[in-house]
Amino acid sequence: MALFVAGVSHKNAPVALREQLAVEEDKLRELLGDIQRDGVLPEVVVLSTCNRVEVYGVADAPGEARAMAFRHLCRYRGLDFSAVESVLYTHLDAEAVRHAFRVAASLDSMMIGEPQILGQVKDAFALAQACETVGPQLHTLFSQAFGVAKRVRTETEIARHAVSVSFAAVELAKKIFAGLARRAVLLVGAGKMSELAAKHLVEQGAFPVYVTNRTWARAQDLARALSGTAVPWDEMDTALASVDIVVTSTGAPEPVVKAAAVARVMHGRRGRPLFFIDIAVPRDVEPGVDGLQDVYRYDIDDLKQVVDANLRERAREAQRAETLVEREVGKFLTRQGEVEVIPTIVSLRARLEEIRVSEVKRTLTRLPDATPETRAAIDALSTAMINKILHAPITKLRESSRAGASRSWREAVHELFGLGRRS
Amino acid sequence: MHPSLINPAVVGYICAMGLALAYLVQRHELVHRLSVLATLAAWAVHTVALIVRAVELGAPPLGSLLDAISVAVWVIVLVEVMIEQRSGLRVLSAFVLPIVVLLSLKTTTSRPANLAPVLASAWIWIHIALAMVGFAAFVFNFVGAIMYLLQERQLKGKRPGAFYYRLPALETLDRLTFRTLALGFPFLTVGLLLGAIWARTAWGSALTFDPLAFFSLVAWIIYAGTLAGRAAAGWHGRRAAYFAIVGFAALVLTLGAGLFLPGRHGS
Repeated sequence: MALFVAGVSHKNAPVALREQLAVEEDKLRELLGDIQRDGVLPEVVVLSTCNRVEVYGVADAPGEARAMAFRHLCRYRGLDFSAVESVLYTHLDAEAVRHAFRVAASLDSMMIGEPQILGQVKDAFALAQACETVGPQLHTLFSQAFGVAKRVRTETEIARHAVSVSFAAVELAKKIFAGLARRAVLLVGAGKMSELAAKHLVEQGAFPVYVTNRTWARAQDLARALSGTAVPWDEMDTALASVDIVVTSTGAPEPVVKAAAVARVMHGRRGRPLFFIDIAVPRDVEPGVDGLQDVYRYDIDDLKQVVDANLRERAREAQRAETLVEREVGKFLTRQGEVEVIPTIVSLRARLEEIRVSEVKRTLTRLPDATPETRAAIDALSTAMINKILHAPITKLRESSRAGASRSWREAVHELFGLGRRS
Repeated sequence: MHPSLINPAVVGYICAMGLALAYLVQRHELVHRLSVLATLAAWAVHTVALIVRAVELGAPPLGSLLDAISVAVWVIVLVEVMIEQRSGLRVLSAFVLPIVVLLSLKTTTSRPANLAPVLASAWIWIHIALAMVGFAAFVFNFVGAIMYLLQERQLKGKRPGAFYYRLPALETLDRLTFRTLALGFPFLTVGLLLGAIWARTAWGSALTFDPLAFFSLVAWIIYAGTLAGRAAAGWHGRRAAYFAIVGFAALVLTLGAGLFLPGRHGS
């Protein structure tokens, strides 16, 4: 039995092909049922997201099983299998384990570290479990993969730094203020992006939210949407004096927040920092405010620069995550390998112990005058012999198993010692 | 300080510093844990060394400036570990431990056995102890200021680098410098007053020139000014940070004067 994964992903297939192969959930149930009925794939999980369609399976003949699974898939979507076959990648055994771990840990994602993929893998696994196509091997594989993904998330910063402009702004705010709870936010203008940034800030506890706009009705609308307060346009300076974070996104051709006005406002703030998130182009906040103490101004380019730095930081962390995954793959294979031969070792031991006990008993009945010391010595002698004899074969079995080639050894042991048919 | 024990402690602090700096560069969970372990081990050895020294002297190990610095280092490490545990400010050690190492390297040299008899009094111990606790607080004041300036530079420069990711929020750092100033200042004040009063009883005058006393008065004036500025004029952030650095420079001169210039505190 070999573990394999086959499929297409953003790495090797264009979206035009991926979207044709993607299967929604109720179709997936049918598909899993069909695959199982064919009998070549005793264990199978199908993962279908917008970036990848993959079949994880356990089969005696992975090549055949792969073709069968994708033939079913193509039939569902009315595709020609031969067209798909050429782009399919296949990973076997150790490679398949590594792939599963990397996918779950979001190392194979288009946006490395994106959090959705783990949920998608969990859903795919749960669905296969519900359809009863998961056996012991895939069960171990996936539960390990979830563990690895969790470790990668907590032990590296692969998913920590924002990769969108609006989240980067929130992170910056957290580097200025000690926590965003009860920080007042002022929205100047009513663009989509500023609304998004404001929502993120509110999620982090920012409160209250003020909205100002040249069009009073628009200010009121947005204030209502964010459970905030609308502020008349000409009272913006008053609002500036009391808030902590200002998000600007007007369509004004000239800056609407002047450096002189900010300088005036800063006097009364007693060192409370003021953070401008200027998403507008042309910019809404005069760059001159940079010269003022405790004022931090990030325009759209600055925010992009932060996002770029965050991406580099993520890439660095991804390196660390890869090392971690590699270690986990090694551990998994060692464990997995030894798991395969454990039943053989157990029955081999049991068989020899059975012989030993019966032979010792026979000998002792013929020696009725033996002292307890003699009896104990005979017992110890026989045990020592058994252990010495067992040592080499057990070591060999474990080694072969770790090397992934235990099958013939297991069979040989079963034959030689008459352990009965099991594999 | 017991010479056979101080060296392992200093070696431990050096290891901990190396690991803390490594953690600052390459944020590796294990490196941080090792650094904390090394710090705690060194601190434990340091504790034993201080006790041994106290037993040897039959008095608190504060009789010479070097002994007193060693006690200050002991306090600094304790506070550093406590702050780090409580606030999760894991990069703090990378800033504090280099200072700890510099100070404790100096304490490995030999020193006079004890105080001159003219000085022996309960007040003198309190004078030294308070001054050293104050000094420990100002080490954190200084470190907080450095971290504030680094983070402020990153945020104003809009090009996030290593420190942007590793250091906490500006507000947190400003609060750290303020609190350590507010905590250290009373200790320094009372410590200095006791010293002056004692000088009068011991030598008849509180105002005779002593290099250490002179520089510590300079430091006190700088810190008093900063505290007043903070309280009355709303000083904070960068300006408060600059003053913290200048104040600490004065404290370093104070120690230097005590160690290298002849005077009442000298060795």
